[in-house]
Amino acid sequence: MSMTRRGLLALSGAALLPAVPSLAAPAPVQVTDITGRTVTVKAPVERMIMGEGRQSYLVAALDRQNPFGRVVGWRDDFRKADLDGYTIYEKQFPQIARIPSFGGWKDGAFDIEQVISLRPDVVVMNLESKVAIDDGGLIGKLERVGIPIVFIDFREKPFENADRSIAIMAQVLGREEQGRTLADYRRTQIERVTSRLQGFTGPRPKVMIERAAGYDESCCMSFGDENFGRMVTLAGGINIAATLIPGTFGVVNPEQVVAAQPDVVVATGSNWKLYAPDGAWVGVGPGADQAVARQRLRKLMERPAYRTLPVARSNRVHAIWHQFYDSPYQFVAIQVLAKWLHPELFADLDPDATFREFHERFLPVAYAPGYWVSLSA
Amino acid sequence: MSTALQADSIAEGRGAYRRLARRKLVLLGVLAALLLASLVADLTLGPARYSYTEVVRALLGLDVPLSVSVVVWEIRLPVALMAVVVGAALAVSGAQMQTVLNNPLASPFTLGISAAAGFGAALGFVLGVSLLPAGWSAWTIPANAFLSAMGCSLLIHFLSKRRGMTTETIVLLGIALVFTFNAALSALEFIASEQALAAVVFWTMGSLGRTTWVKLGIATLVLVAIWPLFARQAWALTALRLGEHKAASFGIQVGRLRLQTILLVSALASICVSFVGTIGFIGLVGPHIARMLVGEDQRFFLPASALAGALVLSAASVLSKSIIPGLILPIGVVTALVGVPFFFSLILSTRSRPW
Repeated sequence: MSMTRRGLLALSGAALLPAVPSLAAPAPVQVTDITGRTVTVKAPVERMIMGEGRQSYLVAALDRQNPFGRVVGWRDDFRKADLDGYTIYEKQFPQIARIPSFGGWKDGAFDIEQVISLRPDVVVMNLESKVAIDDGGLIGKLERVGIPIVFIDFREKPFENADRSIAIMAQVLGREEQGRTLADYRRTQIERVTSRLQGFTGPRPKVMIERAAGYDESCCMSFGDENFGRMVTLAGGINIAATLIPGTFGVVNPEQVVAAQPDVVVATGSNWKLYAPDGAWVGVGPGADQAVARQRLRKLMERPAYRTLPVARSNRVHAIWHQFYDSPYQFVAIQVLAKWLHPELFADLDPDATFREFHERFLPVAYAPGYWVSLSA
Repeated sequence: MSTALQADSIAEGRGAYRRLARRKLVLLGVLAALLLASLVADLTLGPARYSYTEVVRALLGLDVPLSVSVVVWEIRLPVALMAVVVGAALAVSGAQMQTVLNNPLASPFTLGISAAAGFGAALGFVLGVSLLPAGWSAWTIPANAFLSAMGCSLLIHFLSKRRGMTTETIVLLGIALVFTFNAALSALEFIASEQALAAVVFWTMGSLGRTTWVKLGIATLVLVAIWPLFARQAWALTALRLGEHKAASFGIQVGRLRLQTILLVSALASICVSFVGTIGFIGLVGPHIARMLVGEDQRFFLPASALAGALVLSAASVLSKSIIPGLILPIGVVTALVGVPFFFSLILSTRSRPW
């Protein structure tokens, strides 16, 4: 009887605390984050706040058993920016619907009182919010109550910062071993593309990347030499906006698209039903309907910027999941792009199999294809 | 003897008036010529680098490669013409707003029109709210912006009809609404995803890139329909600038004229803003340029405002695509950058008081 009662007590205690199956007891650890700051974190953390909900892509790959157990608060962008992906996770982990969420994190305008009241062991933020956070003096304020902030980055300079960002998050979660495996896997998959292109001297196709194509009526948002722009370069293409757009994002004159005569068109898209229900975006993503996506992509090619281009009527028009740009899964996008840009060179490369294998080895959810689509000639 | 003198001075006065009118007509002609030059530049410049003859052949519908005709007819021409129409419409709105509110700082946006339009557009971008029935999805954003801007103007209109409302109280009401809608817009931006936020920010910076022939047609029609209404009131509006009481003593129903004008101006500005986003500066500066050149006489002031506004926006359109070839800078930003130095030089070189 007393045993049972104790068992019950223990159980109810476990229900109150986030259940984190970790071998090591939390101990102070020095973490050097992506900005070079060294902070002390009691790792493995038991309570964590994610400054961006899409950090889930990384956390899920680092701890597939219990990705959300330690998350006590997050920004509300996961559901809003990636409805299909969120729904898949919610089915498997219904508790994520109850995680307190905040808006406005990117502006560093989050409610510091709410953060403190959630008693996190760490707050993990994205690099792009650093300026706003510094502006509000939030790092110091949180430090005084013993809550460290750690910065990671998959968005501003994903290729320089991804490995370290994975390592930082792994350290915070006490999953260093898994972090190394993940980083190795990612690097190996990227090298499958870059190593083969090293000796390649053939023609590199000109690529027009349209960012969030069809999201609103104007044309054409694109990428400079970073993020998707960099992915195209790595995959052996020439991004026609690379020399035009000074930063990461910008708007290209539709006429420039006509003038540049791209050989390949890549539109990024996601299920933005919650934001632009009337938008003409291509809703690629996990489990997306290929026929619908293809039809919408074909419609986008009727706009004046594309209509006269020979490529618009070829099979070299593609759409790809927009969220690759802010996740550790960019290696998949690079493989997809490589195969689109150099179909013969990468005839044996199967990005679909890569992403499936990645899901099986790292992620808690099953792979649902649909992250990209191509027009048929 | 004295009658001869009188006749002389009358003849002299008439001559002076004719010279003045001729000078104003010449200035109008110069503005029109500059506008034409800017329009031609807008049509012939672009990253695709087509020759002048190719562009002309495409415009005339002669045999040219498909890409040339699509670029000219569907990318360059609608944008170039929209710049002219919207520039003219916003400047005319600003001119009349300054006239009836007797306030040099008034512009079509003083009464909260652009703030309300921005809020309506953001409702569509951020929350996916559409004020239109389903099936009209392509028009969600402009319709939201227009309805919200018109709602704001009608509110002002009805409040202004109350007794004892002066121009100052109307302006104050408008400014209060500007703050209200800006706050609501910020609230929407606060909860927006980065994708939606980018769309809202781009929208509020203004863009001619969303122009279609249908939108151009609507904007042109509204401008052409409202113009004669203003032209018919030209003398009354001119008299208004002498002061409300003088105007009233001429038999002008000042209150009615003011309300009517505010409503027309709001409709005109709302249409423009809902199609191209916020291009605020034109409505303020277009009429001031016109006033410095031709004075207050509405028969010259109105067309001069329209021409000056159209010229500034058209020049801004040329620059927005030429500063960094291949990119399009937000037209609202360029407009201010083009307009301000020009405006300064006019203010500093004009000896008479600009207001």
